[in-house]
Amino acid sequence: MIRNYLKIAWRNLGKNRVFSFINIFGLALGLASFLLISLYVTDELSYDRYNEFADRIYRVDSDIRMGGTDLSLSVTSDPMGETLKKEFPQVEEYVRIYASSGSKLIRHGAEFLQEDRVAHADSTLFKIFTLPVVAGRAEHALDAPNTVVISESAARRYFGDPQAAVGQDLETQDGDGTRYRVTAVFKDIPEQSHTDFDFFFSMDNVQYNWGNFASHNFNTYVLLRDPADAAGFPDKFEVIIEKYLSPLLRQFMNTDLESFRKSGNKIEYSLMPLTDIHLHSNRVSEFRPGGDIQNVYIFSLAALFVLVIACVNFMNLSTARSSGRAREVGIRKTLGSEKSALVGQFLIESILLAALALALAFGLCALALPWFNDISGKSLHLADLLRPGYLLFLLLLPFVVGTLAGLYPAFFLAAFNPIRVLKGHKKTGGAEPRFRSALVVFQFAASMILIIGTLVIYNQLEYIRHAKLGFNKEQVVVVDTGGIAEANREAFKNEVAALSSVSRASFAGYLPVANSSRNSTSFSTDPVSTETNVFNMQIWGTDYDYIPTLGMELLEGRNFSPEYGSDSLAIIINEKAAALMGVDNPVGKKLYSKSPDMEEPEVYTIIGMIRDFNFESLRENVGPLGLRLGRNNWEAAFRVLPGKIEQTLDDIEARYHELAPGMPFQYTFLDESFDQMYRQEQRMGQVALSFAALAILIACLGLFGLVTYVAEQRTKEIGIRKVLGASLGNILALLSRDFLKLVLIAFVIGSPLAWWAMHLWLQDFAYRAPIGIWVFAVTGGAALGIALLTVAFKAFRAALANPVNSLRTE
Amino acid sequence: MLLELNNIFKWVTQGGNRVFLLKHLDLAVEQGDFLSVMGPSGSGKSTLLHVLGMLDDFNEGEYYFQGEPVHGFRDKQRARFQKEHIGFVFQAYHLIDELTVYENIETPLLYQKVSSSERKALVADMLDRFGIVGKKDLFPAQLSGGQQQLVGVARALIGKPRLLLADEPTGNLNSRQSREIMELFQELNAEGTTIIQATHSETNAAYGSRTLHLLDGSWTSTPEP
Ligand SMILES: Nc1ncnc2c1ncn2[C@@H]1O[C@H](COP(=O)(O)OP(=O)(O)O)[C@@H](O)[C@H]1O
Ligand SMILES: [Mg+2]
Repeated sequence: MIRNYLKIAWRNLGKNRVFSFINIFGLALGLASFLLISLYVTDELSYDRYNEFADRIYRVDSDIRMGGTDLSLSVTSDPMGETLKKEFPQVEEYVRIYASSGSKLIRHGAEFLQEDRVAHADSTLFKIFTLPVVAGRAEHALDAPNTVVISESAARRYFGDPQAAVGQDLETQDGDGTRYRVTAVFKDIPEQSHTDFDFFFSMDNVQYNWGNFASHNFNTYVLLRDPADAAGFPDKFEVIIEKYLSPLLRQFMNTDLESFRKSGNKIEYSLMPLTDIHLHSNRVSEFRPGGDIQNVYIFSLAALFVLVIACVNFMNLSTARSSGRAREVGIRKTLGSEKSALVGQFLIESILLAALALALAFGLCALALPWFNDISGKSLHLADLLRPGYLLFLLLLPFVVGTLAGLYPAFFLAAFNPIRVLKGHKKTGGAEPRFRSALVVFQFAASMILIIGTLVIYNQLEYIRHAKLGFNKEQVVVVDTGGIAEANREAFKNEVAALSSVSRASFAGYLPVANSSRNSTSFSTDPVSTETNVFNMQIWGTDYDYIPTLGMELLEGRNFSPEYGSDSLAIIINEKAAALMGVDNPVGKKLYSKSPDMEEPEVYTIIGMIRDFNFESLRENVGPLGLRLGRNNWEAAFRVLPGKIEQTLDDIEARYHELAPGMPFQYTFLDESFDQMYRQEQRMGQVALSFAALAILIACLGLFGLVTYVAEQRTKEIGIRKVLGASLGNILALLSRDFLKLVLIAFVIGSPLAWWAMHLWLQDFAYRAPIGIWVFAVTGGAALGIALLTVAFKAFRAALANPVNSLRTE
Repeated sequence: MLLELNNIFKWVTQGGNRVFLLKHLDLAVEQGDFLSVMGPSGSGKSTLLHVLGMLDDFNEGEYYFQGEPVHGFRDKQRARFQKEHIGFVFQAYHLIDELTVYENIETPLLYQKVSSSERKALVADMLDRFGIVGKKDLFPAQLSGGQQQLVGVARALIGKPRLLLADEPTGNLNSRQSREIMELFQELNAEGTTIIQATHSETNAAYGSRTLHLLDGSWTSTPEP
């Protein structure tokens, strides 16, 4: 029986090549995007699962609020791990990773290489993270000072071979050169991990004021005996706070826990499951930027959208085609087929088509993968689809999709009354064309929503890129001066400033782009701070040239100047800070800042006000900011004359190497760092664009199929009309009118939905481009145009056919 | 008695009025009968055959097939009875275009869940008997009308039905082809198959053992028992 069905299905495919192609290709496009997104989503969800104990590992996170400043930290205090293990038997083991010391310079032959993926770790590292060791031994690997474990690729880089690395020494630039013995080489940490370290140095080499519950600098992981125990930890942390932090509060801040909390401050600890870190944690001191669960949702939704459109297409074409199959259904019924057998037959056909589409989808996937990796920032492989779990899923997919897409046509066909179809009644019931129309409307509405979404996203990105920033991000090179000895940095800056192609130079430790340093303090407008006159403000140490170098705009007052001796307590604030103070021109006003250990507050005098500029993403409103003079010479910013960048960079590098021989020269462009902040949105935009294009393509394929079908159905009518004198234009109008009506209805339904969705999306931005009428005009116009072209292409052929032919064949 | 109709009515409602397709119809058919139903176009011949073939409903009356009340059957039961006992031949052949001659003939057996080896034997017999072995791998479009109708008859007979219903089986054929089909029917009838055919042609009607005339859904003469 099944063979008989498959045979029929196969022959039908060959008989209606155009239909078959449209059906299979449309579904394949939908499936391909579904596969791509599945790859992406599984990849995102697989983070840190390589650990054998993944379900029992938790990170200790800290949430602190003091003086109005909130800190969500991925780190905790150095004694925390040890204390948890000592106090609570549920904790089997703990490990601390200390990465706060930043990158290290490691000797490679005659020169030093900068290694960023470095950390210090406790000797328990391998007891918690099950990193396979390829050379040396994991046990006791980090027990002694001056030991290091390195990744396989680091071993190859420095020693050529993992085996050769064990027992060798690595020399770093810490202090005046420290040597570390390589005790083990571990397999590179998978890409799907929240850490990406190549070097773990012994914790014993960290210079630190140990045993301090009040300083939070260590990423600390605990291995629980049973994951169910995690639920009890809020109480356990309360015990720790009572026992170890309360005494500190009394000793250093003259307050107890209760009044500390009453005045709006807090210290809280919590456990973050290891496998949630990548998608759910975005805290200070994460090892690497994580993913965003929201993106996973959005990507999944978009893929599902396209898949649904493709399935609808499939349904639509199958039902359209069904009239061609009506006779077969009628015959089969007179031959004794039961309804269920017919439903089965058409479902099998549908599943067969879905299976073919899946095969094609694999091919499309393989073609699209490099591009998809590019926009998603991943390195996915088609082979990832061949994992056992996936294979089962992939085998089931054609059944599910085929069944879903084939269910309606199957029942629709099976319900044909055999006598009526055999008598040649083509139309059986009015519901069928109406249902198809509804599907076309759905497809076009969905496509238009995607188009409008894409336009709004792109419009918003353009808006951000050209928004008035309040500073000039073009032509600014930022050089890392950390490699130059402290004493020589000023000289370096001055030498570069003297270059003819450099117009301005400044130290710039704080920059208005993401990942730059930040420093916030609370200020009050009166010497005695009360709840009403205090506000929290970013306070950046700058120098005399900072404002002109970055092209910031002074609205009131003056810049810092060496001519005024007292500028060390002068402050320049932005408009937002002035607004918080409630004054239009703040020049001459005072600001007071008092930290807990100070007797008297520091008194700052406001000497100027600058125009607001964004120093976080444009998603956020500009916050209050103050600039003051301060030492911040780990980075220098140079404004370079247009067209001279290449040459100038060479000149700067030459001077750098004179002052810092053997050190790597590192620089960034301010505008690139700025664009970096919107990478996420750009990716979103590209994904939305691709899906919109796909959706439209599939919808047009569907429309093309439907028009083909209708034109075929109406050949006789067209023939008669032509004999009666209808012109080409009349015929085109006849065939197009109904479809264009559908597109219009889709537009009427789709636009408000799209407007609403994008309105919500824009709420995330503090600075929004309005959704203009043009967005809808363009979308409606495009959809109408594309639909018209599709219809016209087919209708032309029908209209041009010789009427006698069509009349004779009937 | 193979089948019996008692006071059958069938109507459709058009513009609020009942239009009767079959009206006050009685019929009795014995095992081994060869009945010809004649009547002008639109007199209800096809409708009657569809009712007899359990392809279509009727509104009133009783229909007994081998003593079983067809009017009381549910859909499933009807479908089972139909595929076990009735073969249907159409004026327009109604072969499945996508299947070969062999596969077309085989299809009813698939629905009767006959085993594969048995199917092979049955279809081979049938091809042999109808002299179309050489055509078994051709598609309907590659055959002449007469050949297609041969396949149609072969398909109707493959399940060894008690009753063969033929609705103007030669309506699309030339006279030579018609004769062949009619002679075949006679042969089948002689072997014991009950046949009811609808026809326009006196000549064809004459092949049957008796003829009834239909007009506007009723017999023009009372049928003899
Ligand atoms: N479903 C239906 N609805 C309305 N009229 C019908 C229907 N089926 C058949 N008829 C009408 O009933 C009459 C009998 O048709 P039919 O049985 O096909 O006649 P015959 O086969 O004798 O030519 C015709 O007038 C036909 O138009
Ligand atoms: Mg008829």
